[in-house]
Amino acid sequence: MSTQIHANLTEEQVRQISEGLDEPEWLLQTRLDALDALADLDFPDVIRTPGRQWTNLANLDFESFVDPLNAAEEKDQVGPDDVEVLSMAEALDSHEDLVKEHFGSVVDPQTNYLTALSTALFSTGTVIYVPEGVDAEDVTVRTTMNSRSLFNYTLVVAEESSSVTILERQETGGAAVTPERRRASDDDADSRTGNRYYSGIVEVVGGENAYVQYGSLQDLDRTTYNYQLKKATVDTYGTVNVIDCNIGSRLTKSSVEANLDGDSSETKLIGAFYGHEDQHFDIDTRVWHNAEHTTADLVTRGVIDDRARSVYEGVQNVGRDAWDTSSYQRENTLMLSDESEADASPKLIINNHDTEASHSATVGQVDAEDLFYMTSRAVPEQLAKNMLVEGFYVPVLEEIEVDELREDLQSRIRDRLKAREQ
Amino acid sequence: MMSSEDHLKETDTEARFEFKKEQKSAFKTEMGLNEETIRVISEDKGEPEWMLDRRLRALRQFQEMPMPTDWPGQPDLSEVDIDEIVPYIRPDIETRGGTDNWEDLPDEIKDTFDKLGIPEAEKNALSGVGAQYESEIVYQNMQEQWEEKGVIFCDMDKAVQEHEDLVEEYFMTKCVPPSDNKFAALHGAVWSGGSFVYVPEGVTVEMPIQAYFRMNSEGMGQFEHTLIIAEENSEVHYIEGCSAPQYSKFNLHSGGVEVFVKEGAHVQYSTVQNWSKNTYNLNTKRAICEKDATMEWVSGSMGSKATMLYPCTILKGPGATDNHITIAFAGKGQNIDTGAKVYHNAPNTKSTIESKSISKDGGRTNYRGLVHIADGAENSSTSVECDALMFDNESTSDTMPYMEIEESKVDVAHEATVGKIGDEDVFYLQSRGLDDDDAKQMIVAGFIEPITEELPIEYAVELNRLIELEMEGSLG
Repeated sequence: MSTQIHANLTEEQVRQISEGLDEPEWLLQTRLDALDALADLDFPDVIRTPGRQWTNLANLDFESFVDPLNAAEEKDQVGPDDVEVLSMAEALDSHEDLVKEHFGSVVDPQTNYLTALSTALFSTGTVIYVPEGVDAEDVTVRTTMNSRSLFNYTLVVAEESSSVTILERQETGGAAVTPERRRASDDDADSRTGNRYYSGIVEVVGGENAYVQYGSLQDLDRTTYNYQLKKATVDTYGTVNVIDCNIGSRLTKSSVEANLDGDSSETKLIGAFYGHEDQHFDIDTRVWHNAEHTTADLVTRGVIDDRARSVYEGVQNVGRDAWDTSSYQRENTLMLSDESEADASPKLIINNHDTEASHSATVGQVDAEDLFYMTSRAVPEQLAKNMLVEGFYVPVLEEIEVDELREDLQSRIRDRLKAREQ
Repeated sequence: MMSSEDHLKETDTEARFEFKKEQKSAFKTEMGLNEETIRVISEDKGEPEWMLDRRLRALRQFQEMPMPTDWPGQPDLSEVDIDEIVPYIRPDIETRGGTDNWEDLPDEIKDTFDKLGIPEAEKNALSGVGAQYESEIVYQNMQEQWEEKGVIFCDMDKAVQEHEDLVEEYFMTKCVPPSDNKFAALHGAVWSGGSFVYVPEGVTVEMPIQAYFRMNSEGMGQFEHTLIIAEENSEVHYIEGCSAPQYSKFNLHSGGVEVFVKEGAHVQYSTVQNWSKNTYNLNTKRAICEKDATMEWVSGSMGSKATMLYPCTILKGPGATDNHITIAFAGKGQNIDTGAKVYHNAPNTKSTIESKSISKDGGRTNYRGLVHIADGAENSSTSVECDALMFDNESTSDTMPYMEIEESKVDVAHEATVGKIGDEDVFYLQSRGLDDDDAKQMIVAGFIEPITEELPIEYAVELNRLIELEMEGSLG
């Protein structure tokens, strides 16, 4: 399937964005190539089983909410002195070679329709450069979206034997966005009332023996469609962990991926989500074991409530040359309401027999016995339930090294649970 | 050269043996699958008009449906040429090693029979020569004792004649409609042979009903249809297939199995398939369970070049239960894509799936499963467990379960592990005096025990021996 290019999306606009950011010719060319490719690219893969498509991405009407020349945001990019946390424009100014080398090296801009759209139109971005041997903590990037659409791009380069922890947050600002292009059909009960689109591409280059923890908290408002692809490559003895927390948005398609390219490289891909009302989360987590002695641990925990729906796909792909692989995957979903739906497909693709791999997935309610135990200890039922839901997230929470991310996630969960009681 | 029509007419029950003798010339005749072919088959069988209508409708559906090509990691079906799918004939028999008599069988198959210790008569039967005569005698003796209880167990073609009302009601209507998938549609158009089992209310058939040789006894056995109807509170165990290599003249097997498990009834369907390694095994098997009914699928998939088979149970009534136990073995050049589907459509339903696979010498196994829990299927529980054992680095093993959960009051768990045969385990057994091969065989026998213990002893023994043979590589 291929898709029509946005009727109002022109080469001129792409040139305008690029010019506005004073970009070098090669980047403009990358954008134009991506724009060209739109006509031939498919939407990201979504799971289909007999009679149903788990997420109807192709039904999204991008025309109604992509506004290429009108991007507004507030951005806060901070980090310790020995790490360079730069806006894309600054990075192109001072480290053009670095950007040129790595831009598009982890996520091919033409991976799918939405990555190409992102590449063609991105107007904001962050480059985090951690030089060789530097140990850094707490780089924070906060993006507040104040326009109809926003295309964000993050590049993390961690050189040999460096280490860094990063928190990136996305939320919607107070500034009202007039839904000027809302169509009559948007008023249908079943239609997509959302009128914003956030797109984020994250590339993490993990150098030899480097350590990166990249955490993300997506807390966009309920009118926003959200597409994110976070992908890392990990070199020899390197570790890149990605934590992907999804709270907001109307519909999220989020992919978290790691290529274990160097011998003895490691990754943990951690996911957390909490869906309520009619939110739809389509989360996929994928790891490719491409080298020897690599280790991956995939952990995702999510709660869904009301009419929300979660879709989870986890893929552990062990390549022919990936001798002595360890690969584990756990996905657990807690359902708090009868109208919610949780779909899961954890997949193992094993091409090397010298592998220890396992995956497990569960879907269920708050455990009745646990609840009974707590109520028998005089904890009121509602409180007990809330405590159990919070406790359910512990395996995810304890992986998070950035306090702000952990606390924010916890407080979002608490807010949701509290809202439930009313 | 015979015309295709004449040729088809030759293949009634009386003339099957002759038909086989004549097949060399017949096999040179290319036939497409068209309405005329279907009419000839139906007329040949003296079928009622409604069956012909169903066949023709299925044929139209088959022609309209696309080949499955976009399943992630699915077996390559490009060799399955639709124009060459003809109900009786597989051209180019000689290069595929086909034959009419025992002496001409390829050595690998004869060797297998010898190693299995199968008597000469059975060898002949298994090789497809004259099988039906001997097996039907046995089969009829056993039939008498069931008939007293009102149990019907007969050839599916015969059932169309003698139990028309039952067949008309149940045949490819409620359980496996031809529209289900392309190969179910093909099956609906060209099906022939198979078994019909009817167990009246409250009757327990104590011994397993076996259709042991029958698959090859029919000239068209590759499209056999099995219809099992177990009335309320009845119980039956049906075993199909055989655990020796079925020597197939055709390169496509597309069977259909429909099982109706009425309130409180219990059906076990066991099959050990070991198709020849040029066979595409594309089957559709489904059971519908009413209130408090239990369905059990026990299957071993050993042979074939490629298998796509996902026995399915629809838990329609409250309290219904489904158990799946499957084992797949893929050796050189084989791609066994199998799994299980369960639809929980009522409250208090339970299912368990236990899947084991072994891949060796470049073989490829895949567990592909679907568990669907519908909104309103409260207090349902399902547990899926997949274990894959890999012998070497040429082999591939994938696990692709899909879970669709629309109800919150449920308990869903899926677990899968993949690993190589444990060096420590092998070492332990070797240190107790076993050689390397014996040690590995013992580990594999232990690995597949959950399925062998569900099978009657003779099947379990044969399954074990077959796996031993595969592991020796003596079939390759």
